Amino acid sequence: MKLICAIIKPHVLDDVRDELAKAGVQGLTVTEVKGFGRQKGHTEIYRGAEYTVDFVPKVKLEAVVADALVEAASDAIIKTARTGSIGDGKVFVSDVGQTIRIRTGEVGDEAL
Amino acid sequence: MTLDNSDGRDSGKNSIANCLQEARKTLATEIRQARGGVQATQVYSTKIDHLLGRIRSKSTASPDSPVALVAIGGYGRSRLCLYSDIDLLILFGGPIASNEEQLVKDLLHPLWDLGLDVGQQVRQIDELSHPETDNPSFLVAVADARFVTGDAKVFNQFIQHVRGPEAIWRQATIEALRVLVEERYRHFNSTIYQLEPDVKEAPGALRDVAAIRALASLAKASDSPIVPTPLGRLDDALSEAEDFLLRIRSILHLDNGRNLNTLSHDHQETVAERFGSPGSETGGQVETLMSAYFHHARIIARILTTNLNEISPVSGPGRRRRIADNIECNNQLIHFIDNVRASLQPHTWLEVFQAAIDEGCAVAQETLAFMERHGDRYPTEAFLPGTKARDQLLHFLKPKPGLYERLSEMHENRLLSRIFPEFRKIYCRVIRDFYHKYTVDEHTLLTIRNLCELTDPNTAARNRFGGVLAELEQPELIVLALLFHDVGKWTNKNHAEESVRMARGPLRRLKISIDSIQTVEFLVRHHLQMSQTAFRRDTGDLEVTRQFARLVGTEDRLKMLCLLTVADIQAVSPETLTPWKEELLWKLYVDTYNHLTLGYGDELIATSQPSVSELRKLRPPEISEHQVTEFLEGLPQRYLRLVDTQTVYRHIKLSRSLEPTQVRLSLVQDNDVWELSVVTKDRPRIFSNICGVLSYFGMDILRGQAMSNHQEVVLDLFRFIDADRFLAMNRSGRSDLTTLLEGVVSGMVDLGTMLKGREAAAQANHNKLRVRTVVHFDHHYSDRYTVLEVVSTNQWGLLHRISRVISEHGCDIELVLISTEGNRAIDVFHLTSSGKKLGPDKEENLSTDLKQALTSPSSPP
Repeated sequence: MKLICAIIKPHVLDDVRDELAKAGVQGLTVTEVKGFGRQKGHTEIYRGAEYTVDFVPKVKLEAVVADALVEAASDAIIKTARTGSIGDGKVFVSDVGQTIRIRTGEVGDEAL
Repeated sequence: MTLDNSDGRDSGKNSIANCLQEARKTLATEIRQARGGVQATQVYSTKIDHLLGRIRSKSTASPDSPVALVAIGGYGRSRLCLYSDIDLLILFGGPIASNEEQLVKDLLHPLWDLGLDVGQQVRQIDELSHPETDNPSFLVAVADARFVTGDAKVFNQFIQHVRGPEAIWRQATIEALRVLVEERYRHFNSTIYQLEPDVKEAPGALRDVAAIRALASLAKASDSPIVPTPLGRLDDALSEAEDFLLRIRSILHLDNGRNLNTLSHDHQETVAERFGSPGSETGGQVETLMSAYFHHARIIARILTTNLNEISPVSGPGRRRRIADNIECNNQLIHFIDNVRASLQPHTWLEVFQAAIDEGCAVAQETLAFMERHGDRYPTEAFLPGTKARDQLLHFLKPKPGLYERLSEMHENRLLSRIFPEFRKIYCRVIRDFYHKYTVDEHTLLTIRNLCELTDPNTAARNRFGGVLAELEQPELIVLALLFHDVGKWTNKNHAEESVRMARGPLRRLKISIDSIQTVEFLVRHHLQMSQTAFRRDTGDLEVTRQFARLVGTEDRLKMLCLLTVADIQAVSPETLTPWKEELLWKLYVDTYNHLTLGYGDELIATSQPSVSELRKLRPPEISEHQVTEFLEGLPQRYLRLVDTQTVYRHIKLSRSLEPTQVRLSLVQDNDVWELSVVTKDRPRIFSNICGVLSYFGMDILRGQAMSNHQEVVLDLFRFIDADRFLAMNRSGRSDLTTLLEGVVSGMVDLGTMLKGREAAAQANHNKLRVRTVVHFDHHYSDRYTVLEVVSTNQWGLLHRISRVISEHGCDIELVLISTEGNRAIDVFHLTSSGKKLGPDKEENLSTDLKQALTSPSSPP
């Protein structure tokens, strides 16, 4: 099993969720986060005054999937989250030791 | 002491465990038939008393101090539900030593073994000579103390402290009650209209009932004027409400199998079914149930509010002040002085609420009740019979602290829905979804509260929205939009359009301007648009910003829609408007604002667009189609968003057959503001000269814009106020102004000489509070122009000075956008030099000279 963690732009969330569902990923956790990336923030001008925007609103999306689904899930995220402009985000994949469904006690892939 | 068997469980028919089981079974049977109210809980509480007595008698401990077992809190009131905590005070009449401790164990262990949740307090009587003011929950719990078993003398001694003639315990208990109520109300956003209420803790629920009864019992024991008068006839309504809530709580305990008190959406269906609520479908049954719930919650909350208000400390005995003709402030409450007279003058009732806002206090309950009694005698028109009353209402609706509380009072006593009958449709309307926490009407009022809080924001992030609110000339339009934005939810169709339809009637009755009506309709129709764009669309894409800018059209509508969105989201539930969402909304606001003010120059009117076709179609007979097309070609799209149809035709007429030096203008007064339109052929320094003339006459320019079309016809529009009242006090004022304008713009009159004489006035104004001067060039928003943004202190001759410097640098002013907000002038110029954008050197030189001209007041105009 793998944990897929993706940082994406907020407006692509609905499309990414739909695409993940098509890929067979049923469970997701979504968190509102702020990002500080390579572009190191930017300045905005409002009424002639500059102010710095250090952190940009992003969405963190997490899903634990069976090993067989990792590639399809990652591709689904990348395909729908990509806009081609800076700030599209990243996908991280890490190992998961165990998964247990609280209600039934199922473990492993059965719990996904 | 342990229970009989080594495995910790009782055996035998009369065992304590079995008795508890039987008691619960009996209660559960009642609950299943929705009869788990006051009587059933009293019976159950009595059985727990017996159980406690048996456990006490089984104890082998021999305490030296006498002991009383005292029921407190809900147990003290004999209101135990199936899984309620058993709140118990073990009170010793003497020192607590090892034998006493053994007794405590002998009492508590069996109770724990039985699976009961016990909230135990152990005290020695001497400890209670003074109230525990640092333990408000205990103070309030013991107000309901009831003797269960043990030494009655110890109990009586204790009761002397708590309810005796000395005020110290009573005062402390009342204060503790007040603190706990305030804390609890804050936690629930101070509203009874929760869609999934906690029937124990929420405002208007069982804890409030307990608070009311505690205050009443404290009053019974005392002659002190600081406690409220007993309930009297209201007791029946309160008892009925309490019984209703207890029945619901009992069903929740039974269904959950534990002490859970939230009437969630799922449980509402179960409860409604058990109650046998009328309605052929589940939805209808739930609505009936919740309607009854809110009915009872209102009664409870109203009684508690009255009681708490009565015990509020006042400075001086019964301070009474006359506020207006028939209105007084007495003990920090607003009343009518002569009720009979007030009953015949419904148009004066709003003044009571305005007075309450002005004085920062509440309207007296009897005055609210009076309006409720008499209100249905009058039609809607009786409350707003004329211009004065309508203007008073619009003034009342300006966002400010206290508006939400007063509107809530008006809603509770039905005055709001008498003035706006459309509002009745959403009275206690329940919309069941994952997000909304409150009924539709309460959500609506909370949006207004959130808007009012922006007048005094408590966070830095909200400051920026507060700043936007402060810039608006007509913030009451947002309040009107918020009042009606969800009235369409009485139906399950597209509520935005339905809300617009329902808002039309009240807006027309208020007789506000067409422009204001259209603005409110726009806000209602599009109230979801900004959040949808900010959260669901790529705001990094310029086209998205452009589309949104086209939708809002003007900066004022953008500001209003932004503030409405912030207020609306925050009213869904306390957690909904996160800093994350605020950041996205602010970004969209800034990008759109910049596009509207900096980027509008590239969006020109296309003569084939539908709005132009419409103008051609509806033109008056004296204007030809060709004249419409010719005038509009080359003007920015912004022009059509800002100017109504009749004004467009007026401008077309002014522009027809213009001679090279001819100047035509129109000067119209709109209340305190003047609107000037100047039409002439393009030539150098037009804008500068017009600004100079207006400065010469002391006019304070609020808004303005300058543009030109492909026929090289310049159209300059200004809104200004006549600060020195020159036009009002001089019969020939209008004629003087227009004559000088024509002379200066046509080049016949030298403005420079005339303005020199005003220099002294500029000098005198130099020391007023100054705004930091900003000169900023933007290269991002326009492909055709260099956009110059100047922010500076609003001062005499400012625009003339800026535009003169620009002209001296050989730059052409193609478009101008002026706004003044208080002390701050924000001016945007779209410039070219020889038909192209400015180069870096020219920008730098221009910037230097502008800053010098703006920071040195003695620079000659």
